[in-house]
Amino acid sequence: MSEIKNNEASPAPAGGASGAEKDWAEAKAAFDNLKSKKPRPPKPHTAVTIAVSSRTLFNMVEERKVWEQEGLERYVSYQQEHEEQPLKPGAAFPFVKALMTVNTRLRELYPEGEELFDIVLMTNNHAQVGVRLINSINHYDLLIERFCMTGGKSPIGYLKAYMTNLYLSKDSDKVQEAIEAGIAAATMFTPDMETELSETQLRVAFDGDAVLFSDESEIIVKQHGLDTFFEHERKNENKPLAQGPLKCFLEALGKLQKKFYAKNERLNCPIRTYLVTARSAASSGARVLKTLRSWGLEIDEALFLAGAPKGPLLQKIRPHIFFDDQMFHIEGAKELGTIAAHVPYGIGQKYHKGKLIEQLAKKS
Amino acid sequence: MDPQSDCTLVTAVSCHDIFDLQTGQSDSSPLAKGTAFAFIKAVQSVNERLVKLSEKQTLLFEVILLGKDCEEQAKSKIFDSAKYYDLEIGKFCFCSKEKFERTLQENHVKLFLSSDRDDVHSALKAGVPAALLCQQADQQVQNQLKVLFSGDLIGLTEDSTEYLKDLGFNDVQIHNFKAAKGRIQEFAMLIGEMRRRFGCEDSPLHTILMTVWGSRDICATALKTLRAWGLDVDEAFCLAGAPCTPILTVLQPHILWDDGLHNLKET
Repeated sequence: MSEIKNNEASPAPAGGASGAEKDWAEAKAAFDNLKSKKPRPPKPHTAVTIAVSSRTLFNMVEERKVWEQEGLERYVSYQQEHEEQPLKPGAAFPFVKALMTVNTRLRELYPEGEELFDIVLMTNNHAQVGVRLINSINHYDLLIERFCMTGGKSPIGYLKAYMTNLYLSKDSDKVQEAIEAGIAAATMFTPDMETELSETQLRVAFDGDAVLFSDESEIIVKQHGLDTFFEHERKNENKPLAQGPLKCFLEALGKLQKKFYAKNERLNCPIRTYLVTARSAASSGARVLKTLRSWGLEIDEALFLAGAPKGPLLQKIRPHIFFDDQMFHIEGAKELGTIAAHVPYGIGQKYHKGKLIEQLAKKS
Repeated sequence: MDPQSDCTLVTAVSCHDIFDLQTGQSDSSPLAKGTAFAFIKAVQSVNERLVKLSEKQTLLFEVILLGKDCEEQAKSKIFDSAKYYDLEIGKFCFCSKEKFERTLQENHVKLFLSSDRDDVHSALKAGVPAALLCQQADQQVQNQLKVLFSGDLIGLTEDSTEYLKDLGFNDVQIHNFKAAKGRIQEFAMLIGEMRRRFGCEDSPLHTILMTVWGSRDICATALKTLRAWGLDVDEAFCLAGAPCTPILTVLQPHILWDDGLHNLKET
């Protein structure tokens, strides 16, 4: 998977380097002089940029119905009519609040730091809806200063321009496009019931195969069965797996975690990462842990389920977001109140509950 | 409703932008296309669509060509090339460098476009609304005229002038900045009216608001101000200090209303 950002400053577009630096210096001066104590957004190429769509940040189900039933023009006027009414929180809202908490802690420890979360609102919406979105952001006092309202155009070009580390949307087509363009992305789902989440610690849970790692092993399971899979994993225990679409995001989280460790805050770190995999520890777990080690990445908790359902365990963990490539697991998580995000990558997309989707279609 | 005569959006473009006058040309071949070519073609398709909607349409673009210190030989080449490319140019104005600003004023130019920042700046100083003409990466692709407005300029209110003082601008500069905002208004209103002739989708005219260093509240103020002027923009961006070049590369606007601040700071 291509990495959008490195730790060091990424090369600026030709001729744009001094222009970009100048733009940035002026903005820095402007914000530093602002009378209000609102924190300044970080520099794009050192920040961990998370782009959220309007429908993941806010609950726009009612509004969406207006668009579907009455068309675009009516939808835009409807939004304008309700401009002063703040929208209700959406699936990504708790995640965004948790990101803000981490930023506050980071700013306490590193007042001049540029390595922070940067939350960008990336929406297909028409700019006129923007006023309601800004009013809603103000209402909840969210730390979102950057946004793109593309008025119907695809956001992919802008995601790249903003150096996005993670893109969350309700639209699986856009998510697919983003992943194909090398940007970590996932389709968010609203859980069937509400869960109380930590307000002091950001918790992110990842599936292993086809999320953090490539789908190479999953292909073996699907095509040759479990026994072949176990043998293959044992034989290749010391050969790291290839990267998956969300590896870079885990890496970005790890980079921020290290900043807390450096200040002796390991026990009180406001970021916690979890691996929740269907692999079993004994027969196929070692390769996973060794791969992470070879990448220089740490994961706080690795949970091997050996095929057991993920829902109950996730209920205990209560992550602000859980990434998985298989809809079966997403649905299981959703049912028990976990905020789940589907990563449409790899061989898992062609299967449903272990059966090839084409065959299912033929049968019915 | 505006009086009929006021409806034409007279846009002046420098002949140096329409054609490439530098490279040597043989007598028979037309001049090479310049930066403004894509703009003029896009404007022509807007006009076509407006006329399709209503034959008696008065709210149209009128492009006039402005030539500063052009030699006689060049003038005839310019006429011929314009004809060759089927460019709808309402007027050809040739003048000296000294009379340049006066020519703009006399022709009631509602917008002067140039790829030369200094020219844009002098026009603004002379009270003529002026904006930057952008180099298009791909001359062929555009069938939509894209106009980009500065949210920093439009979102400016009485309260936010304190903010400018903090940045180090003096009263004269702040006054010029406010004046620049006033000049955008007429143009924005006409564009707004034109834009309203088309629906949300499939419009030949596309408007964008970009706030480069203002906060989201400045962006919201800009959106509401434009709405009050009758312009509902299609796309909006708030960069909060992020470099704008990558976004502009994706957007590819034809017209860019600079926030004036950069210009002013250089003086």
